[in-house]
Amino acid sequence: MIRVTELTKRYGSFLAVDRISFEVARGQIVGFLGPNGAGKTTTIRVLTGFHPATSGQCELAGHDVGKDSLAVRRHLGYLPQEVPIYPDMRVLEYLRYRAALKGVAAKERTLAVSRAMDKAGISDVGRKLCGAVSHGYRQRVGLADALVANPPILILDEPTSGLDPNQRRRIKQVVRDLANEHTVLFSSHILGEVQEVSSRILIIHRGTLCADGSPDSLVAQGQMRTLRLSVLGTPAVVAAALVGVPGLDLTCLVAQSNGLTSAAFSLPRDVEPTAQLAQCLARAALPVHELRIELPTLEEYFHTITEGRDRAAEVAAAAAVTASAAEVLP
Amino acid sequence: MNAALVTFKKELMSYCVSPVSWVIAVVFYLWRGFEMASLTQVFAFYRIDQELLPPQTYGLSSTFLMVMLVPGILTMRCFAEERRSGSIETLMTAPVRDAEIVLGKWAAATVFYALLWLPSVLILHVLEYGPFLDADLAFGPVFAAYLGMFLLSGMLLAFGCFASSLTDNVLLAALLTIIFDFGLLRLPQQLGGYLGELSKNYYVRELLDKLDVMRNFSEWFARGLIDTSQVAFYVGGIAFFLFLTCISLASRRIA
Repeated sequence: MIRVTELTKRYGSFLAVDRISFEVARGQIVGFLGPNGAGKTTTIRVLTGFHPATSGQCELAGHDVGKDSLAVRRHLGYLPQEVPIYPDMRVLEYLRYRAALKGVAAKERTLAVSRAMDKAGISDVGRKLCGAVSHGYRQRVGLADALVANPPILILDEPTSGLDPNQRRRIKQVVRDLANEHTVLFSSHILGEVQEVSSRILIIHRGTLCADGSPDSLVAQGQMRTLRLSVLGTPAVVAAALVGVPGLDLTCLVAQSNGLTSAAFSLPRDVEPTAQLAQCLARAALPVHELRIELPTLEEYFHTITEGRDRAAEVAAAAAVTASAAEVLP
Repeated sequence: MNAALVTFKKELMSYCVSPVSWVIAVVFYLWRGFEMASLTQVFAFYRIDQELLPPQTYGLSSTFLMVMLVPGILTMRCFAEERRSGSIETLMTAPVRDAEIVLGKWAAATVFYALLWLPSVLILHVLEYGPFLDADLAFGPVFAAYLGMFLLSGMLLAFGCFASSLTDNVLLAALLTIIFDFGLLRLPQQLGGYLGELSKNYYVRELLDKLDVMRNFSEWFARGLIDTSQVAFYVGGIAFFLFLTCISLASRRIA
């Protein structure tokens, strides 16, 4: 339903999106993740035809966004990040106006509006002025607007931003329910909700696509796990006992008030040290209270491929500078 | 064209509920009423031919208020407010053509502007009775005068839409339109003098004549004469500025 090929978008000399490609199949809910300023909204604005692409191709429902924008927009429901609605119109009036603008036939308009209001959970504010409803309701009015013409593709740009936990839960439920009838691409920087709602995640960082896969497969790609240990003994004794275990990288060692010491280790995916660890602790006669290995979370994975990449780039740049300085010096 | 009609209805409704529109109407009719009363007294006192009354109304300052200031005030929000609030994003991503949006917005502004003028017909009608002029005003000049005003204001409102599409600052949009209106109404009269010998050239003179809106009004429309070349000039002006507005909106989508 959505096909993006080598999409690039520049604003003057600033490269906002750099040759990203992805496809979204019919009926999929795809979370579009990225830190602030990563290029999510820019990509979405190009997909909706609001901004032109600098190069590359975007197709929605088989129509090229650049060449046949009107046909694309007929298949599209769009919720922008900041929901702009006319403050002097009533919610019901606004949605009727939007339905008419989107070509919903007059005799079907009342039903279409009431269905969209039900789905978005705003049936109780139909008579209110748009300017008088709260931020959460504004967001949901925007969602009802996106749904009112029952388009096959929905693009939602941070639909839960600024909502309270109850409203957020409601929107997540609405998005989950949409999977049966619509293809949904929704952006967010809140990992938990993307993980809960989407069947697939795209991660964009500094304009490039860094990851593409199901939440579970992305988590499984995480290189490091965490080993947590709780032992009866002082931190110095515990540290001395574990010196011989290969592959463990101590990240935390804290003495507890009840005589226990808690330790955390960073553990590569291919290392299984539990047997050796148990042997070392038994040899030192240290009673083990707790030993567990935690899998990486999506948050850790996200952190690794966004900030981790930045850190790696910084290290590489610093190394290059050092190397060039060393060459210059006699 | 469905989208143009939907936009037209929505915009016309928002003009009707806007307090700015009602303030304009009240100020205009108070001012107009006082001016027309004074004018009628002058006509009655000097026993001037009543047929000359409609042309005289063009010189009233309330007419200048309506022609110079009001188009800018009415159209300043058309696109500038949509850009400022961000609603342009939902508007431009809806399945409608830019031309339909532009046409709907312009038509709503023009119809509302015509509605603002409409009660002034009543003033002329009242003047036909006893205590005032007791005159029988001919339909032709009055109709032609209103048609001329409608065409001119249509062009000014089209320019207003264009100015509004260029910026997200509503005041700047209004100011641009007011400057344009002022230039169109005042500049052609001055320009002939500045151009010197060049103004004797046939084409330059013709162009200046067409652009001299105020003279055209007093010599043609106000006398009940409808010149097709002038009608074409205004209709062409409307089409030109609406086209520029479409280009201005479409520039977002052109890589």
